Amino acid sequence: MNLKKLTGALALSAVVASSLVAADTVKIGVQAPITGKYANEGQSIENFVKLIADEKNAAGGLLGKQIEVITCDDEAKAQKAAVCAKKLVNAGVIADIGSYTSGATEDAQTTYYRNKVLQTSDGTSDSLIKRKYWTFFRNSFPNSSQSDFTAEYMVNTKKYKNIVVLSDYSSYSAGLGDATEASVKALGGNVVFRGKIKAGTQNFTAMLTKVKAMNPDVIYYSGYYTDGGLLRAQQQQLQINADFVGGDSNDNPDFYKLAGKAAEGTVLINFPTPEILPYEVAKKYLAAYKETFKMNPPSIWPVTNADGLRAVIEGVEKTNSFDTKKISDYIRNDMKDFPGITGPFNIRADGERVGAKFVVYKMKNDGTKNVVSE
Amino acid sequence: MDIFLQQLINGLTIGSLYALVALGYTMVYGVMKLINFAHGDLVAFSAYVGLTIFTQFYGSNALNLVNIVIVFSLTAIVVAFVGVLLERLAYRPLRTAPRLSAVVSALGASLVIQNGIMLIWGPNMEIFPSDVFPATSWNFGGVIISFTQLVILALSAVLMIALYIFINKTKMGTAIRATAIDQDAAKLMGINVNRIIVIIFVVGSMLGAIGGLFIGIYYRGLTFDMGWLYGLNAFIAAIIGGIGSIPGAMLGGLLLGLFNAMIAGYISTEWAETFTFILLIVILILRPTGLLGEKTAEKV
Amino acid sequence: MNRTTSIATLFLVVMAVFPFLVDSAWLSIGITFLVFAVVAFSQDIILGRAGIFNMGHAIFFGMGAYTTAILNVHFGFEIIATIPFAIIIPVIFSILLAGPIIHLRGDYLLVATIGFNIIFEQVLSNDVFGLTGGPNGIFGIDVVRIFGYELYSDTSIYYIAFGLLLITLLIIRNLDTSKYGRALYYINKNEIAAKSMGINISYYKLFAFALGAAIAGAAGAVFAIQYSAVSPESFNFMQSVMFFAIVLVGGSASLPGIIIGTFVMFVLPELFTEFKESRYLIFGAAMVLTMILRPNGVWPAKFGNIPSFLKKKVAKQEESK
Repeated sequence: MNLKKLTGALALSAVVASSLVAADTVKIGVQAPITGKYANEGQSIENFVKLIADEKNAAGGLLGKQIEVITCDDEAKAQKAAVCAKKLVNAGVIADIGSYTSGATEDAQTTYYRNKVLQTSDGTSDSLIKRKYWTFFRNSFPNSSQSDFTAEYMVNTKKYKNIVVLSDYSSYSAGLGDATEASVKALGGNVVFRGKIKAGTQNFTAMLTKVKAMNPDVIYYSGYYTDGGLLRAQQQQLQINADFVGGDSNDNPDFYKLAGKAAEGTVLINFPTPEILPYEVAKKYLAAYKETFKMNPPSIWPVTNADGLRAVIEGVEKTNSFDTKKISDYIRNDMKDFPGITGPFNIRADGERVGAKFVVYKMKNDGTKNVVSE
Repeated sequence: MDIFLQQLINGLTIGSLYALVALGYTMVYGVMKLINFAHGDLVAFSAYVGLTIFTQFYGSNALNLVNIVIVFSLTAIVVAFVGVLLERLAYRPLRTAPRLSAVVSALGASLVIQNGIMLIWGPNMEIFPSDVFPATSWNFGGVIISFTQLVILALSAVLMIALYIFINKTKMGTAIRATAIDQDAAKLMGINVNRIIVIIFVVGSMLGAIGGLFIGIYYRGLTFDMGWLYGLNAFIAAIIGGIGSIPGAMLGGLLLGLFNAMIAGYISTEWAETFTFILLIVILILRPTGLLGEKTAEKV
Repeated sequence: MNRTTSIATLFLVVMAVFPFLVDSAWLSIGITFLVFAVVAFSQDIILGRAGIFNMGHAIFFGMGAYTTAILNVHFGFEIIATIPFAIIIPVIFSILLAGPIIHLRGDYLLVATIGFNIIFEQVLSNDVFGLTGGPNGIFGIDVVRIFGYELYSDTSIYYIAFGLLLITLLIIRNLDTSKYGRALYYINKNEIAAKSMGINISYYKLFAFALGAAIAGAAGAVFAIQYSAVSPESFNFMQSVMFFAIVLVGGSASLPGIIIGTFVMFVLPELFTEFKESRYLIFGAAMVLTMILRPNGVWPAKFGNIPSFLKKKVAKQEESK
């Protein structure tokens, strides 16, 4: 019994001792799905943050302090996100880069806000800006701008007559689906069916059989690639003759693998992919990424998050402080046309990114995409 | 009408998969009165093993019949081996312990297998190549049935008939049935109960392995924690059909698949799972021994 | 004071000053430990004492958490005001859900509770009536405010959780020495004999469910406060499995057993985050091993022939004669 108590006390003191950390670093947190179904996105976000941090550290650090990157795996799950937020806040980060999904970002938002830790994410759900937390700014574009572009493409460019809009239940996807439905209707388009599937259940034949009866000429899916790829494959299997248009989160190499031969001819609407970004800074960072990690980033999202980090670093250097309120004010009010890897951008007072450009891609079987229109 | 038939085909396909997995649960429960929570994870494991065998030995080219048989057999053997190991390590030591301890052990074993998968294959999603079976499908007046679906339906039917014959018409099958009714009496009859249990795990795991491989081929996206969902559904199927009853598991699986497809197709996809579980609870309240379960005199 | 009591006192003293001993990362873990311990105790009432195979306990935990979240975020209730509801709503549902299934034999009851748990998860994920928030859950839960004074630091939340634990321990002590506790003990031992003694089985079993649900609901409210967010996957079948395992691995109906069980099942994996990948594998293996080596739990209740609470009563009666 005494041994038990002794070990307990020892463990406790070891824990207390280990929490005394060496001082001269500035900590940047990464909250992303390192494991789980979106793992390749989350891992890429972490890679990019480390790439930029290493580059900065080699050049002398941030205001003289070395950047230390602390990662927390939120598995793209809302509760884990809340836990990660607490962990990163407790670890003393000044900013969090993440998460990949809007849901995980939202659940962590309030904790970062209460603890004055900056947060930037690629999440596109409009609700992320709803609370106007000064600690948060978006590094991608909101659903509402994507839905307008999508509606324009489907109604006016392609002139589809029977449009089916599918999404999953997450706040991002359902939001994008609803926004697209509204935009389509605003342009006079005809939405014959609006349905939701459960992400991760893999078997969508029941829903698709239902959809088939409505004779759609296009199926629009506003969710993630893990389900989008399977939807497309099963659509072909059920011989539903309709085009497939995917929202931004379908953009990932796994879409091709899951859709198999059916990937040929699917259309994707997204930010420009990393490879076709025309900017000098983009070419530089993508080359560096490829050299360090021996692969390209899976999509544009880790790159927008990298821009988020670069904006924070810019804020620190221009305000010459680690005061997060000052950095936030700088980013919103003083930073103009920041030369992002994903294009020049500004951050509005409510945290929204201004300056977004969309591209329509047509996918081919070998995993490449062609730009169809802009 | 053709929508209805289409949903029927879809439902029967997934139902056959449930049935194959449910058989593993019901056989173990029938003899050992234990819910083998780790079974679902074995099924997931078999999908991964199958994927590895495909990609290592054949690349991702479409295969001919002989190769497919080899891959299926190899997978089944590997999984059966793991199943026997599972029984030996996690369940045999607890034969005489309180029932609930075995349940916790099963849960622990489930975690081990799940995380074992994650450690071996990594946490990212693995994707089955799409051309294991030719991607042809036939159109019968609006109802589409694909080659893969046909194979699943046909092979599952064959396996279930084979199992039925095995259980009811062979000496070994009779021994299994006897052990399920009363272990001690079976021992007195000279039946080696340990051997029966090993056989049950082998057969159950093999069927589950084939089910798992089909799940991999049909659904294509594999995650290390996919086992518990399929396992749970298959387990529900076993209960609906009557846990401990082999025809019950088959019937339960098919019914569950159909029920799911019909609800999802005609009423609502979002609540399809909920309806399934409501059905389960209704059956438990009204007829707990399931559709084909024996009406025992035991107080429920 | 015997050995068990002195260890118990030491434990409580350490826990009382815990926030001042550790940094904020561990404080967070400490709060969740307390919350989970309370839930484990409430599960113990149902599983350990009454012997009901309940594998859906996360439902009541989740109902408490979601009640607080919904009332606060959607209806603007003060957190303090949500707590009575966080207790009552799980109790109501416990009776509604357990009522039809209470007469089922062990395994079937187990499966029914699993079914309820999954349905509950679906209701949460499907954003019913726009209230439950979908798979992303509900976030932005307010802080506790008492007389205008905000309690939002982790330390104050810790003490709220600690207070809850103390109340729970008190309830369980009282339960053990009361008519209800004795009835549950007899039902667990031999249901048919208990029935022949005139004990109304369904009544007492439902009572166990209701009490367990009430305590779990309160813990749920504290959980919601701690993370300012709730989401469906914290209350899924896996969580129920964890609470189920805590009771059995620690030791049913054993106060130290439950604490140890919560520590083993929840805190240990946190300690081993360096083994990030293989943590749960080792954990699962440990579960199997523990059951093989100690099938009655790490620290089983010493029931022997006559439990101590009965011995005391008999002794007192002898004295007063």
